[in-house]
Amino acid sequence: MSTTPMKIALFQCRWCLYSPEDQAWVDNDLPENIHLVKVPCTGRIDPLFILNAVQGGADGVMISGCLPEKCHFKEGNLAARRQLFEFSQFLDYIGYAQDRVRFVWLDLQDRGRIQQELAAFERTLEALGPAQTLATRTPAPTGGTHD
Amino acid sequence: MTYRLPKKDLDQTLRGWANQAEVFAPQKREGYAQFLPWEAGNEVLLDEPHNTRFPPKAFFLPQAETLLTYNRKLSQLEMPDLQISPRIIFGIRPCDARAVALLDTVFATAENPDPYWQARREQTILIGMGCNQPATTCFCTSVGSSPFDHAGLDALLTDLGEAYFVETFTERGEALFANLASADVNDAEQAGNVQQQALALLEPAFTTDNLKDHLDQIFDSSLWSEFAQSCLGCGICTFLCPTCFCFDIVDEAQRDERVRNWDTCMLRVYSLEASGHNPRPSRAERTRQRLMHKFSYWLEHADQFGCTGCGRCVRYCPVGLDIRAMIRKAAATPSEVVHAN
Amino acid sequence: MTELETKIRAEAERLLSEHLVDVVIAFRKEDAPLHPQPGFFTRAEELESLAYNGLCANNLANYLTRYPQETRIGMVVRGCENRSVNALLVEKQHTRENLVLIGVPCEGILDWRRIVALTGENVLSVEEKGESVCVHTRENTFALSRVELLHPSCQRCLHPNPISADFLIGDPKPEGDPHLMRLRIAELEALTPAERNAWFKHEAERCIRCYACREACPMCYCTECFVDHTEPRWTDSGVTPAGMQAWHIIRAFHQSGRCTSCGACERACPMDIQMTYLTDKLNLDMIDAYQFEVGMDTTTQPPFATLTLDDKNRFITQGKQS
Repeated sequence: MSTTPMKIALFQCRWCLYSPEDQAWVDNDLPENIHLVKVPCTGRIDPLFILNAVQGGADGVMISGCLPEKCHFKEGNLAARRQLFEFSQFLDYIGYAQDRVRFVWLDLQDRGRIQQELAAFERTLEALGPAQTLATRTPAPTGGTHD
Repeated sequence: MTYRLPKKDLDQTLRGWANQAEVFAPQKREGYAQFLPWEAGNEVLLDEPHNTRFPPKAFFLPQAETLLTYNRKLSQLEMPDLQISPRIIFGIRPCDARAVALLDTVFATAENPDPYWQARREQTILIGMGCNQPATTCFCTSVGSSPFDHAGLDALLTDLGEAYFVETFTERGEALFANLASADVNDAEQAGNVQQQALALLEPAFTTDNLKDHLDQIFDSSLWSEFAQSCLGCGICTFLCPTCFCFDIVDEAQRDERVRNWDTCMLRVYSLEASGHNPRPSRAERTRQRLMHKFSYWLEHADQFGCTGCGRCVRYCPVGLDIRAMIRKAAATPSEVVHAN
Repeated sequence: MTELETKIRAEAERLLSEHLVDVVIAFRKEDAPLHPQPGFFTRAEELESLAYNGLCANNLANYLTRYPQETRIGMVVRGCENRSVNALLVEKQHTRENLVLIGVPCEGILDWRRIVALTGENVLSVEEKGESVCVHTRENTFALSRVELLHPSCQRCLHPNPISADFLIGDPKPEGDPHLMRLRIAELEALTPAERNAWFKHEAERCIRCYACREACPMCYCTECFVDHTEPRWTDSGVTPAGMQAWHIIRAFHQSGRCTSCGACERACPMDIQMTYLTDKLNLDMIDAYQFEVGMDTTTQPPFATLTLDDKNRFITQGKQS
């Protein structure tokens, strides 16, 4: 178990939280260790966003969007499902555990689910420990050769 | 001054140097020769016909270098601590050392010295190893250098078989060898023979009579499009080149650093301006730029070619473009001199 | 000229003299030993310098995207190049009617670095004689076996025979064994995540960001590459660990369902970096998850360009599917 809070990047589609209370919680009461990036649709999420978060030290990345057939833009989440899932597998292949990338596909009726999922995700990450493998956004070298 | 360094004493000599400076020497890692920190007992690669894959210009102009860091909230800048500890680069080839001397004309000018370059240059001693068997891709003699050129070096070693013949050129080079036995007349003669034999292996790759003027005259030739057809437009030739020095300065906002990175004129974005205009819009202009810079513009700036014939670009171009063949072809391309009425 | 070269040249000559194409893209004789160059022939007289041998290491399909759709191109294609052309046609990068594909079943590309490792730097010439390869250096002559010199991608090649060429020159070769590529990926997947990560970092850290891999790849033809995007700046352009790793990760990922495993990227790399272990893994995932193999026809879209509600039952392992 780790004592420092796990750093989580949350990419939230702005339509998936149908309840105003849930959205207000995400907008105002999100715990400090969770960084929110709101996107118009999960289909907007480029693997580069996830990689940027991972390289910046995210211990976990959560992507929250709508169920198939419920996408505000009709098909955006379908694109996301293919690409981003494959990307999470690819990250696992190079050593960033797939369990650190979690997808939450929400239904219009869901209430309070985002809080539950985040809490469960934190527990999963605490068991995995901090992610050290790809957090490499460090200062540039100041000299010497490139070897 | 000249000295004789028996090969069996090399390790001990390097050990002695290691007390006063960090010693770098060509060693094999990942299957190729690289300049790496030397530690006692490490095997030094000195008798391969070619130089290291990555050029030693990186010792003075690192591929990525933080120029300053900043704290946006406090509006503060911080300059890096340019305290470079002393270094001895052992086994640098004359082509690469000459390249460093050429780059001094860019970075170490009296009017506008680059402090990052200077800090490293002042702390570095270059001990050269001459090339007894220049590789088939070498053409130093075609560009005014030689396998035993002194330019840029503090001392030069010639391999005599059992020992090295050492010539020192500067006080710092002298100090490193002063406790060795002096070379005798036989050593000097043997060194002379070795050097002559090496020169005999190097055929002229191209003639340079009037080359600059000729290149200037064929500036608008269609020859450049021809070369550009296969050119990939990658950065291999420029990055592996010991004399290329172009750089790009970038603010890495996520790290709050201003960084200087090597840049390459072979990429489209190199000359792309903010307006969208690109003075070198196609590979033809960019290929032309590389050849003109090396063999024409450098002469205007430093009265020497900007190429030392190391051959790395020839060896590693993925599409087999050979700069020697390109210069030969350019020299043979008729110029269309237009006379004004 | 070898017999094969003579036949290829005759075809090229016919295409040019009958004005069936504007340019023939093939290989031409080297200026520096070990490195034949891509050749662009517009007149029959130029064909004297046409070459075809095991050292022709580039993927010629790379040059297709340099020409407008109207240009009629004759191109020598081996197995992987034919599939790359197909992949480009799927992405509408040229018009099939304006292509004449001169198919040559491939015996595999000789890795010039393996030759140099065995014979030294000063190679003067190379002769291929069936299963043996004779190398003349400045100092010596060596007889090597073809098999030991093949580039790793060619050792694993599935499709040495061009699948949609307009005609074939040379005898067909046996198709490859799909298990070879799977085996290599399986070996990596059997490592622990930490070991795989260490391997990945080990390969990425010698990168010098020359982008030769990108420029040699037929599928990398974006006018603005993601590394050139400055606002926002997703990846470092320098040789920092973050930058180099991001470069390898994202370039490979952008090849998902597009890469034909030709290995031109590895052959172009001046630092001997391995990277096909990334793209081969992604290609296998595309085959396994979507039954999609790139380049086998000119119409089927790659998986990431295809959206379907059939996906709704995928990926239910993460975050419960309600």
